[in-house]
Amino acid sequence: MSEIAQDGGGGGKKGAKVRSKKMSTKIDFTPMVDLGFLLITFFMLTTTLAKPQIMALVMPDKDVDKEDIEPVKESKVLTLLLGSDDKIYWYEGITDAKLDSTDYSAEGLRQVILNKMDKVRGQFGEDDYKKKNKEGVEEDLKGSYINVIIKPMRDARYKNLVDALDEMAITKVRYYVILDVSDLEREFIKNPAGGLKFSAEAQLDAATK
Amino acid sequence: MPKHKPKRGAPTIDMTAMTDVAFLLLTFFMLTAKAKPQETVIVDTPSSISETKLPEAGTLTILVSKEGKIYLDMTGSHTRMALIEDFNNTYNLGLDDKERLKFANLGSFGVPRSRLKQYIDTEPAERAAFQTNGIPVDTADVNKSELADWIHNARLTQFRMKQEGTVKDEYVIVVKADKDTPYPAIQKVINTLTDINVNKFNLITSMEGGKE
Repeated sequence: MSEIAQDGGGGGKKGAKVRSKKMSTKIDFTPMVDLGFLLITFFMLTTTLAKPQIMALVMPDKDVDKEDIEPVKESKVLTLLLGSDDKIYWYEGITDAKLDSTDYSAEGLRQVILNKMDKVRGQFGEDDYKKKNKEGVEEDLKGSYINVIIKPMRDARYKNLVDALDEMAITKVRYYVILDVSDLEREFIKNPAGGLKFSAEAQLDAATK
Repeated sequence: MPKHKPKRGAPTIDMTAMTDVAFLLLTFFMLTAKAKPQETVIVDTPSSISETKLPEAGTLTILVSKEGKIYLDMTGSHTRMALIEDFNNTYNLGLDDKERLKFANLGSFGVPRSRLKQYIDTEPAERAAFQTNGIPVDTADVNKSELADWIHNARLTQFRMKQEGTVKDEYVIVVKADKDTPYPAIQKVINTLTDINVNKFNLITSMEGGKE
């Protein structure tokens, strides 16, 4: 230890009787514990235990035959055009499409989707949106009755896309697809009164291009 | 009743048990800690309600920065080693053993193939300042797209490694983009992926309710 034996060496014996000092074997662990916890804190703060979250996305296959495509009812289709400054333009169907705009809030896009669901339900009279699957468990099929097309425009940000996909998950929309915006739609946004001159064939072409 | 003896001096506590616990925890954190490779690009992911966690499998991450530059990162140094050996032979990148080993432990990278050697030779501290436009993408011709080439070959290599038993899983394709990334950059990535028949991939998001 740090003590130095005094009167060591030669004539120590002459004076007072030297008693061998009883050394304590106890070691003070406090600094060691301090160090230990300091290092623990360091490692705890630097490790990233939390794994990032993911959102699965499935894109349609590019090489698909036109014959394999099953047409959907126009009145069930809702198209969302994700624009700049967190704005969404949307229209229903193709014929007589009316352009409207909304935002990403719960009263905005979500309400648009839910309204569309109710509308389709009223039109086609699907019984209660609930069906029993093969195992006999009742499934909520509310989301299966509309088709949503998400078309992010050039000036949209990535967050807009994720937010839109989030809404799909929240409202349980089963069938949605991400497609590119066509020139006709850009024209439509510039001049909503002019209407959308879109044919079903053009839509099909866009999907299989 | 015996008289209570007053204690003399400071009370001593036996610290041994506490030390044991402290060092046990320390060992645990040291062993589980993974050295985080230096991020070449800072990506602030958007939030979502998704609660799915990234699986424990090997991942191939496509990073898209705020400016729309594309970076790649893949796990598994064995796969990376095999991949860079392939690329070195195919494209005459002129990398020696040491440089290839460096690539295996590189982390994310976002340089054109022709400048890869130069990038690897840069000191790690100076890599952040390395001027680059990310990995080139050609959406018109998938055969000319370096990004498609990297992803396609990385997946093939990982698949081969899995068959040989070196790795356990095939790559999970993950897209990690900044929330302010303009959509055309994302579109390029998605188109590239579907071009090489990767129709299923994952978007990395952060927990909803965070700051935004």
